[in-house]
Amino acid sequence: MTDRPSTVKGRRLRRRLSGALALALALGAVGVGYSTVAAAAAPKARAASDAPAADPVEIRKGRQHYEQGCMTCHGQNLQGVQDRGPSLLGVGEAAVYFQVITGRMPVARQEAQAERKQPKYDEAQTLQLAAYVQSVGGGPELPTGDLRGDDSNLAEGGELFRLNCASCHNFAGRGGALSAGKYAPSLDPSTDKVMWAAMLSGPQNMPVFSDNQITEEQKQAITNYIQTLNEERDPGGSSIGRLGPVPEGLVIWVVGIGAIMLMILWIGAKS
Amino acid sequence: MSHDSGTHRSQPLDVEELERLPMEERAKVASAVDGVNIVHRRERFPVPGTKAERRAERAVAACFLLTFLGAVAFTVAYVVLPWRYESGNQSYAWFTPVLGLTMGLALLGIGFGVVLWAKWLMPEEETVQDRHGGRSPELDRRTAAAVAVDGLAMTGLARRSLLQKTLGLSALALGALAVIPFGGLIKKPRGLVQTAWRDGVRLMTSDRRLIRPGDIQAGGIATVFPAVQDGLTTQVVADSVVLLIRLRPGQTVRARPGQEDFGWQDYLAYSKICTHAGCPASLYEQQTGRLLCPCHQSQFDLLQDATPVFGPAARPLPKLAITVDEEGYFVARGDFPEPIGPSYWERPS
Repeated sequence: MTDRPSTVKGRRLRRRLSGALALALALGAVGVGYSTVAAAAAPKARAASDAPAADPVEIRKGRQHYEQGCMTCHGQNLQGVQDRGPSLLGVGEAAVYFQVITGRMPVARQEAQAERKQPKYDEAQTLQLAAYVQSVGGGPELPTGDLRGDDSNLAEGGELFRLNCASCHNFAGRGGALSAGKYAPSLDPSTDKVMWAAMLSGPQNMPVFSDNQITEEQKQAITNYIQTLNEERDPGGSSIGRLGPVPEGLVIWVVGIGAIMLMILWIGAKS
Repeated sequence: MSHDSGTHRSQPLDVEELERLPMEERAKVASAVDGVNIVHRRERFPVPGTKAERRAERAVAACFLLTFLGAVAFTVAYVVLPWRYESGNQSYAWFTPVLGLTMGLALLGIGFGVVLWAKWLMPEEETVQDRHGGRSPELDRRTAAAVAVDGLAMTGLARRSLLQKTLGLSALALGALAVIPFGGLIKKPRGLVQTAWRDGVRLMTSDRRLIRPGDIQAGGIATVFPAVQDGLTTQVVADSVVLLIRLRPGQTVRARPGQEDFGWQDYLAYSKICTHAGCPASLYEQQTGRLLCPCHQSQFDLLQDATPVFGPAARPLPKLAITVDEEGYFVARGDFPEPIGPSYWERPS
């Protein structure tokens, strides 16, 4: 009878301890489960916390490339140079990758818009440069993993493309004019990674589409849609540039009706 | 009525005489009656069965054979070729071009065959048909007017005033019957003044996600809709679609008087519908802060609060007042202060 309260106390303590342990286990299981499910479902853009820090050797090489090729315009500490180049602090590796791998940077001259040309740096050098800029200023990171998803997302990708991208890049991704000499480029030569980098960093006058706004699954769908469009043959015959009814009308008027006129002339001349 | 020109009318033949004429002669008589004159007629091959004639005949036959082959190929292609879209397999893409090609061949074959038949094998012929003179003969002209006047007199309309009035009345009613249904189509465009935005209506994306301030990064845009039950139906989207824009750091906006507090921090919300012709103005240049309309190249400068700076649009884009509610989502603070989209007659202001 006398030791009963102590037993009750002890039992209570044990119950509390085991309860806490169970809770911790359950939380841990949910956390692990969630992270594996999330990792399987979407390509995780490398978050600063869980990504392995970039190789210091790569960063040092990137710094060398930067000092040789970029510093004149973007400054010694990426702070930019008045009237020459903008600051690169916070632009992130996605922006560097997009600009350098497509040859837009280094620019040949100042004009309305830096255009795609033969790249000066190869993939490895570009990634070194990107790692260096990322290590100094941070910013949007390059995606890793599956950038397209499976083909079940094509219809959704098409819808998102028409809502968010087609106004500037044309319904078939052929690009189009903007104001004062600027233009939205054709998406034909773009790789998956370049498209993701563009959406994440918003190069030049393109708006930024962050992962909170257009989710990673949606970015997969858009990328898959554009690349499928690029790879598809045109079932109706020649695409005539995929620019729509104007060139198609031009061809039928000039070539089609021209051929009929020639035929009429030929029939007339033979009689 | 009658062939008044009649210069080529041959002597009237009686039926018996016609019956005795051979078919060819009878055809000549028929064309003579219609004023058609055969000036020149020559057989292409006066001696039938020459080498040249057989060659011409074979060429025409080849054309018809081409039609046969094309048509058969069309049918075969239609049945056999794969046409269903399959991801990764491009062979379906040949279906339509092959159909077009074979059908084209078939039609071309029969067309060329018929033309060549006429040009190579049928007799060479030139005919002249006399044209009717410039105006009807005097007799017809005088009598036509008299017939019309006589017809009117026969109705007695001038005398019978009761019939005159009742007929006029019924004609009026009939006319009204044709016009009145159009009245139902005339409605006051109330829907253009009001949209689905109300105080407290949240903003959502096309996949029905609500939007928080952190969702869009600086220099980003999003097309948003009112988060109401039917927020994505055509009727609502047609006038309520909004472009939510987050400015870049350092971009400042000279707001319109009275609308200085419509934005929320560096976020602005404008109607996506161009004030010129109602196209979606959504080509956004994030560095210059310009919003372009693709239809007629209007440009709106967001840094001047969406004032048109180029192109045919005359009025700035209507601005939606937004704020963030206690749960951290963007909400509208009311409807647009002015009608969205292009101008119209009854537009207030």
